[in-house]
Amino acid sequence: MSTSKENLAETPFQTAGPFLHIGCMPNAIKINKLYQNDLGEIPFNNKNEAELITIKGSIFDGNGIALDDVMLETWQCDEKGEFKEDSGFARFVPNYLTKKFILKTVKPGPFKGYDGKIHSPHISLSISSRGLNMTLNTRIYFEGDELKNDPLLSIINNCNLNSLIAKKTKKNSYLFNIFLQGEKETIFLDI
Amino acid sequence: MNVKSLIKRNYNKQPEIDFPDYKSSIFRAPKNKKISFASTDTEIFGPIFKKNIIGEFDNNLTLNFSINKNSPLGHKIIVYGTVSDQFSNPIEGALIEIWQANSAGKYLHNNDKNSAPIDPNFAGCGRCLTTSRGYYEFLTIQPGPYPYLNRGVEWRPMHIHFSIFGKSFGQRLITQMYFEGDPLIKHCPMVNSIADEKAKKSLVGILDTSRSNKQNLLAYKFDIVLRGIKQTYFENRREGL
Ligand SMILES: [Fe+3]
Repeated sequence: MSTSKENLAETPFQTAGPFLHIGCMPNAIKINKLYQNDLGEIPFNNKNEAELITIKGSIFDGNGIALDDVMLETWQCDEKGEFKEDSGFARFVPNYLTKKFILKTVKPGPFKGYDGKIHSPHISLSISSRGLNMTLNTRIYFEGDELKNDPLLSIINNCNLNSLIAKKTKKNSYLFNIFLQGEKETIFLDI
Repeated sequence: MNVKSLIKRNYNKQPEIDFPDYKSSIFRAPKNKKISFASTDTEIFGPIFKKNIIGEFDNNLTLNFSINKNSPLGHKIIVYGTVSDQFSNPIEGALIEIWQANSAGKYLHNNDKNSAPIDPNFAGCGRCLTTSRGYYEFLTIQPGPYPYLNRGVEWRPMHIHFSIFGKSFGQRLITQMYFEGDPLIKHCPMVNSIADEKAKKSLVGILDTSRSNKQNLLAYKFDIVLRGIKQTYFENRREGL
């Protein structure tokens, strides 16, 4: 890391295409003699079911069709607001019959940022697929949490702010739908 | 206080996301402007992957799926290069995952409806971690070009898909490497979604003849640059001073 001026351009993105499972989750498509596990199957492997929340949802395109050829990746801190290098990452796809994804993870805690401000609990989410020339980024916040002082949420002036907030459906369960286009277009982030 | 932030992404050197020449972007590309904000720990810190996930043959696609060590069809290539940040610092321990079609242009995937044959000795998937000098290397098979439905039938240039994790979630990159001299590159809408010529060119793996001749395989060099992270130090001052 350096404080001097950067001299190289970031390599450009290209679409992940429709066959990303081969490289990113081969076991999920039954190429299962290569890697012992697919990466990010379990974000926190030292937790039991009772300590986890469930986030369900679908990803809709501009025609309102729920997609299944999409890869999602999430990254987050633990319940104490601490980032650990080797846990907190998950990678998953919607079920190809129900078109719903399910993420079982720890509810992240709030943390104090570089700015000294408290950041409300959130999970960073990226979306890669055919038709997307670049990976999209957004965040999952949680209904019921203290949100109005969050440094990111408080700078967003958009009527779809709710697209960043997972709805509580029952105890420890949340709904988070993603809209790629249209009136309900999810807010995407330049991270 | 030590404040870290990712260098702002230069969207002039990235693909246009709303690019109708690539037909499947039409109903998938968001229309609204992305929201920029100051980097937080979430974008800066991890995930980081450890050596113990990588198997002995994970970066050798000519062996990792073969039956009784039979070679896949096609000619062998080495694809190598470095992963560095925008300050030219090599990134150690970057995870690179690749996937590709076989020599006939066919993916080992149910959704690939091309009539080209699958190769029983080739899965087309590999991964590795970069060394302390940011170096990576794959031994694989030259992927074939393949037809797909876009504005009618079009052909993808030969390519390998790359997914890279550096040290930060904000450095995450998914891209494709093309092959020097492939005449299909200039017709490809996915390539042409990048307006900047230099940026386009940076996705082309360069034939390395010295290494090719020495090792009886064709070698291609493909260097990858992930975003830089700036550090700024502030003196801690008491409130109100
Ligand atoms: Fe491809």
